[in-house]
Amino acid sequence: MPFDVWDGEDESAGGRFVPLYVLVNGRTSPRDSRLDLATQVVALPVDTRLLDAEYLRIVDQCGNWISVAEIGAYLQIPLTIAKVMVDVLVEQGYLGVGTPAQSKIVDRHILDSVLAGLERL
Amino acid sequence: MERTSVKIVVAGGFGTGKTTLVGSVSEIAPLTTEEVLTEASVGVDDTTGVEGKTHTTVALDFGRITISPDVVLYLFGTPGQDRFWFIWDELAQGAVGAIVLVDTRRLESSFPAVDYFERRGVPFVAAVNRFFGECAYTEDEIRSALELAPEVPLVWCDARDRGSSKLALIALVRHALGRLSPARA
Ligand SMILES: Nc1nc2c(ncn2[C@@H]2O[C@H](COP(=O)(O)OP(=O)(O)OP(=O)(O)O)[C@@H](O)[C@H]2O)c(=O)[nH]1
Ligand SMILES: [Mg+2]
Repeated sequence: MPFDVWDGEDESAGGRFVPLYVLVNGRTSPRDSRLDLATQVVALPVDTRLLDAEYLRIVDQCGNWISVAEIGAYLQIPLTIAKVMVDVLVEQGYLGVGTPAQSKIVDRHILDSVLAGLERL
Repeated sequence: MERTSVKIVVAGGFGTGKTTLVGSVSEIAPLTTEEVLTEASVGVDDTTGVEGKTHTTVALDFGRITISPDVVLYLFGTPGQDRFWFIWDELAQGAVGAIVLVDTRRLESSFPAVDYFERRGVPFVAAVNRFFGECAYTEDEIRSALELAPEVPLVWCDARDRGSSKLALIALVRHALGRLSPARA
């Protein structure tokens, strides 16, 4: 069987797409951030009166724990931009951040609880 | 803060049932989020360099399963096109592993996904989506066509069926657990 569809060599010329470079609040992306698209955040009980409208929209969405990907989906903000904006809000103390997916990956306890959770479904 | 996210990637060739599987097990209707990508080339790390480059919007669909009060599992379907490797890298990073859906009418369309996870050492299971009940191939034929390593589990599934999709997820988590070093059991 011919397998000629693979063009995912890291150095291949075609198909090298990267996220759009964005500038938000004087900060650029992609940058080194702990945020993954699955990382969850939650609004902290602080005064939001000074926030710009587009940031307030995000904080308002975070009454319960919610992932960066869900924020992007509900508010129709491209992921790259959602990530930078959430990062700004975390840094400024408006949002609390949960444990990102990648830091817990090798944790047997987490996998055990995921397995138990799936079996209960 | 105690709120943990866990990711599983649902991959496979174009039209193999990725979105259907995510939807059948998710506790919410699958959501779609977009990533705007630009074609990489020299000088792309310069804001002024963005203009005039090809921009592409890639849609990702995903679902969620609440595992416990502080653990949520997110299921991300890869984009149908194989060329957006950046997105694959982002999804695979830190994931428990991947389910590679296989459509027996077009086995080869899932080969790039198998190859991708194999090369990066990401645990995965092959889930053969039985679109029309019958399957023209034996498990051995599918394994050799996809060059599956002997330890990679192969499960049969119907992505439309919640129970069946759930079993594919369980097979993956068991496989991922089995690959952890037994030292600290
Ligand atoms: N008969 C049958 N049809 C299925 C099954 N799984 C998916 N389908 C159908 O196959 C088509 C493609 O399924 P999708 O879930 O959209 O596939 P996908 O992999 O997300 O497709 P892309 O994102 O376009 O690559 C849809 O019309 C589904 O209803 C299955 O197990 N059996
Ligand atoms: Mg799809």
